[in-house]
Amino acid sequence: MLRDLFSDLRFRLRALFRRTDLERDLSDELRLHVDIETDRLVRDGLSPVEARRRARLALGGVEQVREATRDARGVSFIEDALQDLRYAARSLMRRPGFTALAVLTMALGIGATTAIFSAVHTLILQPLPFRDPDQLMNIALVSPATSERPATLDGSWPYPQFLFFRDHQTAFESVTLAGPAGAVNVTGTNAERLGWEEIDAQYLPTLGVPLERGSNFPSAGDSLALAIISDRLWRARYNADPGIVGKSIELEGRSYEIVGVTPPGFLGLSGEADILTPLAVSAAESAGNVLRDGSFVVARRKVSVSRGEAIARVGLVGSALAEAFPSSAVAGAWSVVARDLDVLRLAPIVRRGLLLLFGAVLVVLLISCVNLASLLLSRAEARRREIAVRLALGARRGRLVRFLLAESVLLSLLGGVVSIALAWAGSVALTRVSPNGVLDSARNFGGGIGVVRVSSIHLDSTALAFTFAMAIGVGLLFGSMPAVQTTKPALVDDLKDGAAMAGGARGWLRFTSRQLLVITEVALALVLLAGSGLMIRSLGNLLRIDPGFDARHVLTLQVSVPRDEYNREAMPAFYAELTSKLRALPGATDVAFADCLPLTGFCGGARLQVGDTPPGDGTQLPMVGPRWITPRWLATMHVPLLSGRAFTDADRIGAPKVVLVSATAARQFWPGKSAVGRKVTITMDGFKNAEVIGVVGDVREQLETSSTPDVYLPFAQAPHPDFVVFIRTSGSPSSLATAARKAIWAVAPSYSVYDVQTMSARAGASTARTRYGALLLGLFACVAMVLAVVGIYGVISSMVSQRTREIGIRMALGAGRGGVLRLFVGEGIGLAAAGVVLGLGGALAATRLLRAFVFGVETWDPATYVTTIAVIGMAAALASWLPARRALRIHPTDALRHD
Amino acid sequence: MSDDSLDLPQGTLDLLILKALSLAPLHGWGVSARLRAMSRERFDIQTGSLYPSLHRLERRGWIKAKWGVTENNRRAKYYELTRRGRDQLATESDAWARLVATVGLVLRTN
Repeated sequence: MLRDLFSDLRFRLRALFRRTDLERDLSDELRLHVDIETDRLVRDGLSPVEARRRARLALGGVEQVREATRDARGVSFIEDALQDLRYAARSLMRRPGFTALAVLTMALGIGATTAIFSAVHTLILQPLPFRDPDQLMNIALVSPATSERPATLDGSWPYPQFLFFRDHQTAFESVTLAGPAGAVNVTGTNAERLGWEEIDAQYLPTLGVPLERGSNFPSAGDSLALAIISDRLWRARYNADPGIVGKSIELEGRSYEIVGVTPPGFLGLSGEADILTPLAVSAAESAGNVLRDGSFVVARRKVSVSRGEAIARVGLVGSALAEAFPSSAVAGAWSVVARDLDVLRLAPIVRRGLLLLFGAVLVVLLISCVNLASLLLSRAEARRREIAVRLALGARRGRLVRFLLAESVLLSLLGGVVSIALAWAGSVALTRVSPNGVLDSARNFGGGIGVVRVSSIHLDSTALAFTFAMAIGVGLLFGSMPAVQTTKPALVDDLKDGAAMAGGARGWLRFTSRQLLVITEVALALVLLAGSGLMIRSLGNLLRIDPGFDARHVLTLQVSVPRDEYNREAMPAFYAELTSKLRALPGATDVAFADCLPLTGFCGGARLQVGDTPPGDGTQLPMVGPRWITPRWLATMHVPLLSGRAFTDADRIGAPKVVLVSATAARQFWPGKSAVGRKVTITMDGFKNAEVIGVVGDVREQLETSSTPDVYLPFAQAPHPDFVVFIRTSGSPSSLATAARKAIWAVAPSYSVYDVQTMSARAGASTARTRYGALLLGLFACVAMVLAVVGIYGVISSMVSQRTREIGIRMALGAGRGGVLRLFVGEGIGLAAAGVVLGLGGALAATRLLRAFVFGVETWDPATYVTTIAVIGMAAALASWLPARRALRIHPTDALRHD
Repeated sequence: MSDDSLDLPQGTLDLLILKALSLAPLHGWGVSARLRAMSRERFDIQTGSLYPSLHRLERRGWIKAKWGVTENNRRAKYYELTRRGRDQLATESDAWARLVATVGLVLRTN
């Protein structure tokens, strides 16, 4: 049995590869058969001619015999398929225009979809890189509603509440408090600033991260001068020294003992932490008076506990917690919710935006599929006669369908290859579009997980498999419909002359299907165009907003003083020295320092008490944005001084405390009156009863929100160890970067200087999300429009060919050129109009989803829609005008003779 | 097949060809002539069934082909039984005999 199979296989392989030889052998065999039969008949007495004729007849149909024999060889299926593919390849090469169009259409749709899919896969679908990530949950505290806002989900936990939760919960095998991600100065030789997280002893076990070397922090014990470093830091700084455990690292001037090394690729929940130190809870934090901003709780569910049960149990602990910690708020109490850790992957708005983009790209895919179907349909139509002849000659229908499908399969494979190229380019572009990680979670809302980042989008095997599956699926689906349809045995119509003209009943049906397809395309394109129009207008509105300062020609750097070197008293002198050094740089026209950067969301807030109003409940006081600045800051940033005076060098430690307020603050707190001379108290830095000495123009914190009231305090009266340097330059700001760094290090070699960027770049980053959305949607809309235009062109073109005779008659009867043109352009615009009507409802509904992303326009903004419809109309007119011109070149007599 | 004769299922034709070749190697025409003779002119195998069967048997390894020369100096492909083919012939013949006997037994019963 096995031997049979073996020889069977050998025979089949030989049949496959030595086909020509075997064919020749078979011919010889059959020829011999006829010869011998002829001889026998001649011997029996027939004439040679007659004998041969009889012999041939006795043989039967030569081709049938050969076909049957070939079948018996058992490889006919493969041989036929190969032959089909060869023929399909030849016929595709003979029509390069059609082939290129079909492949490009498919590739655009599939390539774009794959690129976005890979983004969705990396950012949303791929499991987090920890052990059993679906067991990880985030426990969030819901703070009770106050008069200012409803109950909000607050990541940050007061320490006592956290301890209570940890001790009373039953659903989790480990609970950890993950501190906010930060940065720390590594001092000593080779000073640098590295990502850093403070963690408790449960952090690494909860995430399921085994240490590569050394051991975890002890859960109890006083020593906090310990550190765990990342694998990449160990290799870069310590040359992968095997004796790393026990060595020390100097952070902010203090020595920390290294107790462990994390495995390669792990950089904490923030995705940036090279250094981990034990959580140092201050006395104020232990008492619950101070919150660690940006911290959040991560817990690993016990294997035996289901998700729903965990959520329920956490709710119960929440009630117990509310009782144990009664809130002094107006109404409501604390409660606790548990949710999958996954929700922290992306800022909610980025996640929503990404999913919307995926929806948009699916629309593009749909349009390209529709276009492809239309193309294949028109091609099948053109071959109707050829196929009818084949059927009449006896080709089996299944065989013919397979032969037609071979073309679709080849197109699919080609389309798949080009799609991969497009998708790769697309995914690379997507990673470039997020500068400074602006779209990444950790920066966007404190306490998020930075592990998942836009820069990690890439094409992986899932995406590739997805691409090819789609390509083959699409090709087969849209190829099989015309193939099956055109091979239906109703030959008489097709073989008749003039079949292409009249088309018969089926021809008409096929033509209107193409028209319907084009109308659908236009409807879908309308949706994308409207969406992108809205985003573009939003972008325009955003860019038109005056941020309140001049971002051009300003270089910014961040400086951080190591904590052990920080001397509050000496800072003003340091500021002055550094200012003069930087001012001396060639090209620098003005220098100033501030504590934070506008338009980045980094600036903090504090409570303001106006004049002598009683403090009352701390939460009742208005929030202001305090900014610490040196006197030249207003001039450097071109922020106007509206009344009073600016800071001078006289306003320093020891002098009376003074502040500046922004125009919004002045309007809000002292409406209709002058703000100068008033007294305010800020809940920070001992600024009690400081005097307002001037009012300055508003500086926006965020472009999308309106101005907030700001208060400016002089750096000299309240220095900070971390500050930002602003340098206004006469030439290009980036050219000063190296010189500025050198100058700072000349004054203070141990201070960290990092994050050097021009202010324009930062301002650009603040509009990044809208720009991203507008760019991508605009791109999709363009692709959709191009495809729809191609579709209209195709349909009108066919119309012209089909109605050639009619055109000839019209022109012979005296119709002018204008009339003929109007006829076809009218048809084209009619198609587009039908598409618009069909798609308008859908467009209005779909653009509602963009509500959270648009700025300064309503989603049903009439101007945008009118413009969009006009664009479609003009494109349709152009697309039908081109083939219509062809109609004009028809000679009436030729047309009447036309078949 | 000639008019009054029988329709042979495919497997049976294979068996007959094996038998025809068991006596001496033959080419395609020779096999059909031999079978016509052995069946007293009752079997006239069409080429449309003969050659596919021959190639199928060759594929299974029960016969092997060799190019030779006929009496008239024509180039011909001669088929002969392999050892496996002989075994197969014996097995199939036994099976056929048993089949015929059993069917006959059933038909004869009243």
